[in-house]
Amino acid sequence: MMKTTQWLVPVTVAALMSAGAAQAKTELHLQRFFGACEAEYGTNTDVSAAEGECGIMTSLINQFDAEHPDIEVKVTTVEWPGYDQLTAQMASRTPPDLVTMHNSVISDYQSRRLILPLDDLLEDAGVSPDEFTSTARAGVTRDGEVFGLPMDTWTMLYHINLDLMAEADLLDADGNPMLPGSPEEMLEMARQFKEKTGKPYLIQILSNETAAYTRLFYTYMFQQEEDFFGNGEAISLQNDAARNIVHHFKTIYDEGLTTKNMDYPATVSAFSSGEGGILMNGNWLLGAYNVESQKPDSELYNAYIAYPYPQLYANDDLYVDGHSWVMPNKKRNKDELAATAAFFKFMAENDYEWSRTGHLPSVEAVLDNPDFQALPYRSDLVSVTTRGKGLPAGVKRQFAIQDIMGEELASAITGVKSVDDALADAEARVNDLLSNL
Amino acid sequence: MTLSKVDSQLSASPMAPETTFGRIVRFVTGNVGLMTLMILLSLLMLAPALWTIGLSLKSNEELMMGTDAVFSFPYTLKNYLDIFENSHVFGWLVNSLIVSGGMTFGVLAMSSLAGYAFARLEFPFRRTLFVIILMGLAVPEQAVIIARHQIFSELGLHNTHLGLMLPGMSMPFGVFLMTQFFKAVPKEIDEAAMLDHASRLQIFWKVLLPLTLPAQATLGILTFLQSWNDYFWPLISATDQDMFTLTVGIASSQQNFAQSEGLGFLASQAIFSALPIIIVYVIFQKHIVTAVAGGAVKQ
Repeated sequence: MMKTTQWLVPVTVAALMSAGAAQAKTELHLQRFFGACEAEYGTNTDVSAAEGECGIMTSLINQFDAEHPDIEVKVTTVEWPGYDQLTAQMASRTPPDLVTMHNSVISDYQSRRLILPLDDLLEDAGVSPDEFTSTARAGVTRDGEVFGLPMDTWTMLYHINLDLMAEADLLDADGNPMLPGSPEEMLEMARQFKEKTGKPYLIQILSNETAAYTRLFYTYMFQQEEDFFGNGEAISLQNDAARNIVHHFKTIYDEGLTTKNMDYPATVSAFSSGEGGILMNGNWLLGAYNVESQKPDSELYNAYIAYPYPQLYANDDLYVDGHSWVMPNKKRNKDELAATAAFFKFMAENDYEWSRTGHLPSVEAVLDNPDFQALPYRSDLVSVTTRGKGLPAGVKRQFAIQDIMGEELASAITGVKSVDDALADAEARVNDLLSNL
Repeated sequence: MTLSKVDSQLSASPMAPETTFGRIVRFVTGNVGLMTLMILLSLLMLAPALWTIGLSLKSNEELMMGTDAVFSFPYTLKNYLDIFENSHVFGWLVNSLIVSGGMTFGVLAMSSLAGYAFARLEFPFRRTLFVIILMGLAVPEQAVIIARHQIFSELGLHNTHLGLMLPGMSMPFGVFLMTQFFKAVPKEIDEAAMLDHASRLQIFWKVLLPLTLPAQATLGILTFLQSWNDYFWPLISATDQDMFTLTVGIASSQQNFAQSEGLGFLASQAIFSALPIIIVYVIFQKHIVTAVAGGAVKQ
């Protein structure tokens, strides 16, 4: 009996240890926005069967988890955009391993060394930054280093109701909508549209939201080749380029050529129900409106198309931003780094699936993928991946700046302030913010 | 005029005995203007809740085309069924119950003890301490949030139930309310108990505390509601998804920016998260009304 016990104990211990080692998985903590949709996609690992940002992101992560039995993925979904939580986690030194971030926000964290450069890790993963589109690469590069795995590039679009454009005689011989080539032409078209349809030409978010007008403003400042952010440390808004844009959209507002007093969801449903000709909103709505356009009972049935904002001034630049995976600064062991590299490789390889959301690919090869090219409306949008640009990389607090700009622009357009006063106030407030960083 | 007054007036009538239902009918028909106004005001108050319930019973696809779909068939329970598919929701519900219940218990215990001490005991710097506590009413949470977050971080309290409860337990309003209630109780009651050789603790526990039940109910309900609806502190303290409270969890479930694509689901979650509070209110309705009325009048 004694002898049996003597050999049984070490064998049991060894067996338990080996079992423990076999079961030990490397945990990878991901934190993301894009919502929760567990009811529909909680266990789905077939990405091709998923739709929408939430569905595709959830399924992508599920698939990665299923394909890597040595890695256990833990996901925390946060309310968009989740930066308050992330900052709190960093302050308490408990950040996740990877987190979704807008490219326009990277400078805020990179400048304080809160996120890490990924060049070496991407090399380990076999992902070269040269594989990314020029716009995506620029979006995640700071001081010559890559600080994020770019997921996409996004921009604002003209979502167009073709039936109403036809009613307004604004379709060309091929049935494509005629888009303005100058501010004057835009006003003419908008007036014609309203006269013929009785509806506003534009559907704009003018209530409880600041981003849309700011993005529009940036695009048309770029198109006038106005270097309004200079070295990224101060903004300059008291110039003719800025006044041109605000006066133009104020005229549209004053003449009732746009919807008024609508918040974001209201504009989305207003376009669905045919209350105006053109919705100015992001490419993330492409998928949803494409589905709408295939329903016989929809106002958009066979009557929907989308284009980037048209060129109204000297060049065709567009304001863009993008989503990326970034790596918070914290200690990691070799296995955790390997798991992160594997995740980067997986996401880069599956960039096509993410591009089905309506976002534009960050991996250049996807642009040549026949499946991508077969997606609706994409042929008119791919140029965004080369001609899009963001604010200068060094500009910090871009979300806060966006709020200030949106508030002041709305004040000018709705007549609460004069155009000159609003621009002067916006310039002073933004520069005050930047000077106190 | 209250229903009880009307009831007593009607009861005093020399006419034949009347049923309760008959009295109510007479009261309603005799006060058509007042009743109409009350119904209109009630509808106005209920409108947001009814609207949210309506949204929760419609499919997300229909609502994306326009929220006026609320007024037409078909309706569906799919949004509610989808909640049950989210494995986290019940965990968030339990977290909210633990945090709100724990905070309520803590506030009641500490406020009662502190209120009794300030109202009845003589000790050095009593007035100064009371003023310092009252000054806490003037300090907004945002002013201390960074320091508090760092302290909790050093203590390892983030992502714990205790970390979510502790900040709310320091409630100056509770101390003030309980102090005023204890002061309103005649000191002769204490003295009578002392003659019976009761200790301070016995006087507090067996004699005075039962007399402050209306105030306890008021404070408890206010604390529970405040904790249940709290968003900012749980947002930055409970960053682990398993530790989310309902408010943070539901916000994280929004499917896209501005929720234009999942409005019905969001509305169903809002209704679901309100259910425990509604149930508490229905069960304790009588006590709540009594408590609030009691709290409004100095006794």
